[in-house]
Amino acid sequence: MAEQTTTAAVPELVSAISTRFSEPAWLAAVRAEAWQTFDELPANRIEKSDLTKRSWDIGALPVAPGSLPEDAKTLVDSLEGPRVVVVDGVVVQADVPADLAAQGVVFGDLHALLAQHGDLIKRHLFSVVPASESKWTAANAAFWHGGVFLYVPRNVVIETPFTYVSVLTEVNQGAFPRVLVVGGENSAFSLAQVNVAGDNAPSHPHSSVTEVVADAGANIQVMSVNQLRKGPTNYLTQRAKVGKDAVVNWTFGDVGDGFTVALIESVLAGAGSRSLTKGLGIGFGRQHMDLTASMVHQGRYSESDIRLQGVLRGRANSIYRSSTHIERGAVGAGSEQHDRMLMIDTTARADAIPMLLIDENDVQRCGHAASVGKLDADQIYYLMSRGIPKDAAMRMIIWGYLQPIVEAITVPQIQTWLTGLVERKLTS
Amino acid sequence: MASVPHFQIQDLHVAVEGKEIVRGLNLTINGGEVHAIMGPNGTGKSTLASSLMGHHAYDVTSGSVTLDGQSVLDMSVDERARAGMFLAMQYPAEVAGVSNANFMRQALNARRGEGNELPVIKFHRLLQEKMKQLNIDPVFAERYLNEGFSGGEKKRNEILQMSLLEPRIAILDEIDSGLDIDALKIVAQSVNSLRSPDIGFLIITHYQRLLEYIEPDYVHVMMQGRIVRSGGKELAEQLEAKGYDWLKEELGIVDETVGVEA
Repeated sequence: MAEQTTTAAVPELVSAISTRFSEPAWLAAVRAEAWQTFDELPANRIEKSDLTKRSWDIGALPVAPGSLPEDAKTLVDSLEGPRVVVVDGVVVQADVPADLAAQGVVFGDLHALLAQHGDLIKRHLFSVVPASESKWTAANAAFWHGGVFLYVPRNVVIETPFTYVSVLTEVNQGAFPRVLVVGGENSAFSLAQVNVAGDNAPSHPHSSVTEVVADAGANIQVMSVNQLRKGPTNYLTQRAKVGKDAVVNWTFGDVGDGFTVALIESVLAGAGSRSLTKGLGIGFGRQHMDLTASMVHQGRYSESDIRLQGVLRGRANSIYRSSTHIERGAVGAGSEQHDRMLMIDTTARADAIPMLLIDENDVQRCGHAASVGKLDADQIYYLMSRGIPKDAAMRMIIWGYLQPIVEAITVPQIQTWLTGLVERKLTS
Repeated sequence: MASVPHFQIQDLHVAVEGKEIVRGLNLTINGGEVHAIMGPNGTGKSTLASSLMGHHAYDVTSGSVTLDGQSVLDMSVDERARAGMFLAMQYPAEVAGVSNANFMRQALNARRGEGNELPVIKFHRLLQEKMKQLNIDPVFAERYLNEGFSGGEKKRNEILQMSLLEPRIAILDEIDSGLDIDALKIVAQSVNSLRSPDIGFLIITHYQRLLEYIEPDYVHVMMQGRIVRSGGKELAEQLEAKGYDWLKEELGIVDETVGVEA
């Protein structure tokens, strides 16, 4: 197999992480086992994304974080409210306002919180995204540090979104952000996660894992925005386990020219559970983006919607899969998929692949719509006929198309930042 | 810019997918004038309107079109608009995600030119005032451009844009189709209130009905891709009373169409 193998020094790295963070034995054991899995497992085969030549060269443990790239600095400086900032895998800022802590909310550095909340973390960590699931989830489980834990107790409603920013600078050695979110019964809150890399990040792989546990009646909004640059392969695995009558909504935005393989999945385990995934991708340069939005229906009358929108420029290549699996017993489940790709340049390429797996006979609704197309010439003509120059008209139409997803990022600073990124990519 | 617009079409030929639809059309419109073009279906009226605005599906194969001496045919669609041309379309596009208000502000500021943009508050005041005149519900400002609008709402939205942009030459392509009589009166009122030496109108219609409310100075009949008869408003009345057959007979025309639906 042409796959690159990892270096012999890696097990030392794994134990070095356990030592540095004085991990409890159970966690150190998970890490060591994950490394075994990582070492032995070939990369999953994904149709249309060749992973056999991607590097698995894991960098050394960073000693000190690098300085923030301009872009990331602007964002980090503007953030308010409960937030954690991680640079090159090192937690540099963790702020939880006192009023939240008084309500029993736990938010901060996953390692640091182990001492006080070890049992809670042990119960949930790896419960939604197991280490052994894929080569990259194993890599994350073996090498993660600078992770985040968010816990909102039952019946607690927090209006202000929590934010988590993970930055890779030029000293980055590959990062493995791990996020664990636990929402107690009838809790309601939102978390925004930003992964951002500077221009000169070296070619170590990046694997990010987000696990969300939504207890009965919880309502959790998870937003993630990724701006990862060419070079390293970026793997993202985000999954929620959604309890009875609980809601988990994902908003995913990717603005980058890197090589990304992403999975966003809701396991609708409880009766009446619901999930909506909105995804937005702006591809440019030689970007390769392979996004799978997946809904697994197990609970009766569970409902889901997937809306994916891509805008492709240059030689970008995007694969947008939406997958709905209605398992036997998920009586009355309903699901809709909408994928729409907009091709700006003829050199770009997009695939919209809808998948429906239905094992239950009694299904309420299940549908999909997928389209790949160019900007509508008559729309451009109409705007121009009112004096708006062609470039501006095209931008207005593209923005009109993206706006509903951008607006779903409810942290104003992140929304502004994302808007700026998209605007720059559309005008360049 | 000349104070009174002067718009001239000379020997215009327009083809669609290689088939000639407009076949040698001449027309001059000056500021202060209202011209109506009438004619049965398939005689090239809408092709004329769209080609004057520069729609990509229409090829001007020969002839000239000038506004105040400047060649319109050498201008891009947006340049034509900024020079003062306006086409109220029969089937305006729907654009999701772009609010009516935002679109109109961009359009108005493009027309006014850089450095001369209207402040946001002033714009909204102006928009609300114009919407009131046209009896348009204020919520339409924040609705997406034409999306989910009824036929009549789209037409009124076109007229709203016209009254905001204050063009020098306004072409109305079958603005009366799909309008009930009350909406028709409102639209006509709006056109009439804009009438001045600063603007010339070209109104394309099937029916004389609209011309009862907007009194034309000139009426032209289009057949076989050209103007075959011109007259005053009495020509429209004559057509309403007698139809087109007498005219075809007089002109020796058997088939008035150019082989396409208008």
